[in-house]
Amino acid sequence: MSDAILSLRHVSASYGPVRALDDISIDVNEGEIVCLLGSNAAGKSTTLRTILGMTRANAGEIVFDGERIEGLTTPEIVSRGLTMVPENRRLFGKMSVKENLEIGANLRDDKAEIQEDIERVFSLFPRLKERIRQRAGTLSGGEQQMLAIGRALTARPKVLLLDEPSMGLAPILVEQVFETIQEINSQGTTIFVVEQNAHMALSIADRGYVLQTGSIVLEDTAANLLEHPKLSDAYLGEME
Amino acid sequence: MNLRSALKPGFVGGIVVVYLSAIGMVERFQDRNVITGLVGLGVVLMLVAFAITSYTAARKSDSSLLTGVAVGFISGAFVAIVTMGFEGLINAGLDVRGMFVSITPGLLETLEFGLNPVVGAFMMVVASTAVGAVSGVLVGLEYHLRSAVVFAIGITLLMSLGEPILRVTLGNLQIPTGWLYELGGLTIAGTIIVLALAFGLRWWWMSRADTRREAAAQMPEATRRTWGRASLMAAIVALVALPWIVGPFVSDVLGTVGLYVLLGLGLNIVVGYAGLLDLGYVAFFAVGAYAAAIFTSPASFLVTEEGQQFAEAGFTNLWVALPFVVIIAVVIGAAIGAPVLRLRGDYLAIVTLGFGEIIRTLVLSDWLSPYLGGAQGLTRVPAAPPSSFDLRNPQHIYYLILAFSLIAAYISYRLVDSRVGRAWAAMREDEDVAEAMGISVVRYKLLAFAMGAGVGSLGGVFFAAKIGSIFPNSFGLQVSINVLAVIILGGIGSIPGVIVGAAALVGLPELLREFGEFRLLIYGAILIAIMIFRPEGLLPNKRRQRELHEGQDLAAVDLTKEGPS
Repeated sequence: MSDAILSLRHVSASYGPVRALDDISIDVNEGEIVCLLGSNAAGKSTTLRTILGMTRANAGEIVFDGERIEGLTTPEIVSRGLTMVPENRRLFGKMSVKENLEIGANLRDDKAEIQEDIERVFSLFPRLKERIRQRAGTLSGGEQQMLAIGRALTARPKVLLLDEPSMGLAPILVEQVFETIQEINSQGTTIFVVEQNAHMALSIADRGYVLQTGSIVLEDTAANLLEHPKLSDAYLGEME
Repeated sequence: MNLRSALKPGFVGGIVVVYLSAIGMVERFQDRNVITGLVGLGVVLMLVAFAITSYTAARKSDSSLLTGVAVGFISGAFVAIVTMGFEGLINAGLDVRGMFVSITPGLLETLEFGLNPVVGAFMMVVASTAVGAVSGVLVGLEYHLRSAVVFAIGITLLMSLGEPILRVTLGNLQIPTGWLYELGGLTIAGTIIVLALAFGLRWWWMSRADTRREAAAQMPEATRRTWGRASLMAAIVALVALPWIVGPFVSDVLGTVGLYVLLGLGLNIVVGYAGLLDLGYVAFFAVGAYAAAIFTSPASFLVTEEGQQFAEAGFTNLWVALPFVVIIAVVIGAAIGAPVLRLRGDYLAIVTLGFGEIIRTLVLSDWLSPYLGGAQGLTRVPAAPPSSFDLRNPQHIYYLILAFSLIAAYISYRLVDSRVGRAWAAMREDEDVAEAMGISVVRYKLLAFAMGAGVGSLGGVFFAAKIGSIFPNSFGLQVSINVLAVIILGGIGSIPGVIVGAAALVGLPELLREFGEFRLLIYGAILIAIMIFRPEGLLPNKRRQRELHEGQDLAAVDLTKEGPS
């Protein structure tokens, strides 16, 4: 697909002798929300790590914004406009909310624009503004997830990668988080979200992929996937 | 209170005093007068040991006076019994000193307060019980009063210990000191005056604490900044005037302290800011010293045929050499850093330890001895003083060290809240996420390593210039350990901490030279105490304090109120 802003073509990756990704191909088009579904250890996080260059692909190519990025270092990839919200949030707990947001913008130089982006995060998450000087580690789970997303947004990504944003959150908060993701998308950021919570993710996504033990087993529009009988197989597969 | 709770601290106090006596510390310290004609430092040492054990025990008890008295009594009785025991053994004709070399007649005399053994033993118990009682009363006192009493005693002790500097200093200022000092200790009148003044000042200062806080809170931001700037200027003026007030000997000590401040600031960037434990920091110190020597010493291998041009180009001048030395150190720092910085934590520490040793071994090697002088070292560094500014004069080189320390402190201060400082903080906390956020971990580590190397090499240059000749054994592991201890004592990541740490660990031992043989013992005891009671250091960096007291009531600390310290 030529209008894909991020595409993985026949990518494989392994940890030592263990193959974690086996010849996967994914396309994310500009302006879309795409989700990658799969159970534990299916290779979801590895996919994100490979995109960001934190795990090296053994084969295949990753194209972002028309250029191959699979050989670049993580900072180079981030500076091109790909940022991740890591699994379990992983905030800098001893730093203040503001400092966490500034870390996100660490690659950029323009103070005025960074300030603008921080304000934008605060307009998305007014709660964070109230806690601007508070230590990130003392925020509640929901606030921490907001801050983790905010920290990624201050890097001004073209594509935002989210690793299990629903993990460890109460259902009501999960809903809020996904509404926010939708809002960020509507403001022009492409979203690639990795999730176990398939129904939640598909309810906001345009398209979805299902990953099972390192391979893509399904690929369709979100609406079709929601109806697909094999969707539950992908999750229950290991338990059969 | 039950007697058992007093038994353990009582014995601890007694054993500590017996130990300090048996290793000869009490007797050696007794040579130094605290209050001339009344108390020597050896006795003070014993009384302080009694006081600390009684105080800590009394604080945990609900009847503090009784506990204090009991602990003091038990400690004193223990010491008295041991003393009488030794006395008896000696009288029985046993060769006690064959085993305990330090049990001398002089020591026994000190432990018996110069009286006969039985009365002496009684006096020991009376003294320790009295100290225990005072400690017990102190615990019960209201906070302000207690603080003022402890402050007054502490200041008096410091005034007495500081006699060698203070007498000279006051003399230079044309202030008569006869009323205050006599034979190396305080006079009795002087003691009373100092005690009363210190107590009064502390009391007055604390009684005004609330008013002062209010005034500070009402002060507009601009005024506060002006005040801050004014006090900084005053401190700098004081630092500039210092060598002429204290005289050449103390200036020399100040130069050594300054050297360690400089090294501490450099290592602080590596360990404190970037969180990389470097145990081979002496390597950069050595690089700086040897590079300076090679450039400026007439004994250098560069002073040969082709070297002549080099000299004519003015390189033998220390000022010209200085930037090149720093550049060389930065390059070597980066070269060493590049391969090892992928290691983390303990592994990095071990590898840096190795590099420190490699540099020393290289300097000693036959291979490099034609260039670096081997065990003979390099002398006459620099041959000619750069100008009328005399590097061999401690009062002159002090300024050089001061100037560069101030620059290093300013750079460190500015770094903390910069983008670089934040990146380091993020890296220290979670390297993986920092990388995922686009922070080039390797680059920032290299930057920290190179900056540390540059500052460390400056320390080396001034060391070489100050001493005038350098030998490989000046660059052992001990230097790395000392610098690390300086920043740990002061508080890792804290600039004022480095200054306090260097003054305490380098300055005090220089001034208390007579205690030379116990230096390492005291050093170790201080470090252990700091690690147990105040792991964040004496003047901690606020963020570090939070990291170490995770989960305590610092949770909702307002982060704006902290300086970048």
